[in-house]
Amino acid sequence: MKRIGFILLAVLALAGLAWLWKPVPPKAAPFPADLGSVEVVAKLVEVPPGAVFHRELYHYATILRYEVVSCARGNLKPGDVIHVAHYDPWKPRAEAGDARAGQVGGTVRSFVAGDRHHLALAAPLDDHYMGGLVDKYFGQHAGVTYWALRTDVD
Amino acid sequence: MANPFSMLGWLGCAGVAALVSAAEVAPLATEVRPLGWIAFSARSPQGDWEVYAMRPDGSDRRNLTNSPDTEDFYPLFSRDGLQLLYRSMPRGQTLSGNDYGRQGRLMLARANGSEAKAMGGEGELPWASWSPDGRQILTLQPKGFAIVDLASKQVVRTFPRGGFYQQPTWSPDGKALVGVSNGFNTGWSIARLELATLQANAVSVADCCTPDWSADGQRVVFSRRRPHAGENGGYGWTELWQAGADGQGASLVYAEVGRHLYGGHVSPDGRYVLFTGNLWEDGDPANRGAPMGLARLTDAPMIAEHPQLRQVYPQAKAAQVLVLPAGHEPCWTSSQAPGLPR
Repeated sequence: MKRIGFILLAVLALAGLAWLWKPVPPKAAPFPADLGSVEVVAKLVEVPPGAVFHRELYHYATILRYEVVSCARGNLKPGDVIHVAHYDPWKPRAEAGDARAGQVGGTVRSFVAGDRHHLALAAPLDDHYMGGLVDKYFGQHAGVTYWALRTDVD
Repeated sequence: MANPFSMLGWLGCAGVAALVSAAEVAPLATEVRPLGWIAFSARSPQGDWEVYAMRPDGSDRRNLTNSPDTEDFYPLFSRDGLQLLYRSMPRGQTLSGNDYGRQGRLMLARANGSEAKAMGGEGELPWASWSPDGRQILTLQPKGFAIVDLASKQVVRTFPRGGFYQQPTWSPDGKALVGVSNGFNTGWSIARLELATLQANAVSVADCCTPDWSADGQRVVFSRRRPHAGENGGYGWTELWQAGADGQGASLVYAEVGRHLYGGHVSPDGRYVLFTGNLWEDGDPANRGAPMGLARLTDAPMIAEHPQLRQVYPQAKAAQVLVLPAGHEPCWTSSQAPGLPR
């Protein structure tokens, strides 16, 4: 009986510890100061319906609209609206890079409207990406479309 | 004698869909047999990819590359049928269903495979396509299109790619190209680019790929995915379509439930179309390729009989498809040069 009580106590203690334990997110690598030509913090304005979908079959990039909050490198200023192509946007950024897209990464796990992202960007898009593109803003934006090299949670 | 394999039909070779009987396609085989040669890549008995040639009915097959140490693939006859481009990479590398045009080195040979020589290094001169006169090639790279003179190996013209990203094909009259573009809202559009003005127009903006010109350059044959009722896990099956190069008059060429039809290639006389019938998406080129098929364009629109397809295409004819051996990216020339002794 004593033995059963001890085991019960141990199980309860372990359960309590498990309840108290919070996973510590892996520490992100420092944000590189020389990746791409533009570094901004920007707010994801929206995720249009159909812009991000799970598709194992073919890789694609999707274009998302951001509003710049601050700019560390490049000629953007707060309030500017920019369009950014994200490769295989249904994947966490840390798992999205491959031979086709090259070095794509970051700590963002999914794209949620209103989130602020710390972005390293390159342009023009054609110099960095040859592949399928979903553009829900087709015909609504002119000028530079950026290629997201790194997308961290801000 | 015709290749007996070619008479079996999809059902006989893969158990997927029943087409018409062997007897019904026999006249088609007889009709196309003397019409030049088809080149394609396929696994050799040793397991490596080689470029083969055969008569359009599947007979008289011969190995054009004979290189067991390399994977040889993506053959393209020049328009006069005297020269052959293909790509070559070390044995053991996997052929990619989307990137085959930029894998390995570009090779140039006589149409019978002799006098093969490398035209560049690994990955260079990607997605090469012949000029009408066979003296230049058009290539597609991240920085843009480049036209290269074959004799001097000099780049004679460059221009922005404007969203085109794979499978460009130079038109028979040399005035335009068609290719896969991401510049028209959806990711896999077929588009035409006029080379004089660099103006592009969409040919088809559905999920499309592997375009090729008709012999007169007026129409484009291409693959188009159409998930009519959410079949195949919602992805649907890829059908063979054609449209005017200006995007007008799109119509079905051939559809089948259970196979993705890719690699459409129009015969030099414009009367027939070649294609592959893939069971899997990218898996077929990575493994053994897929059975190729040949049909009369005058029979279009046509379907392999299936209740679901019949509902979508009530006017379509029952397809007469001559089934050819497994291969990848076939092309066709009316020239007799591929059959000449090496």
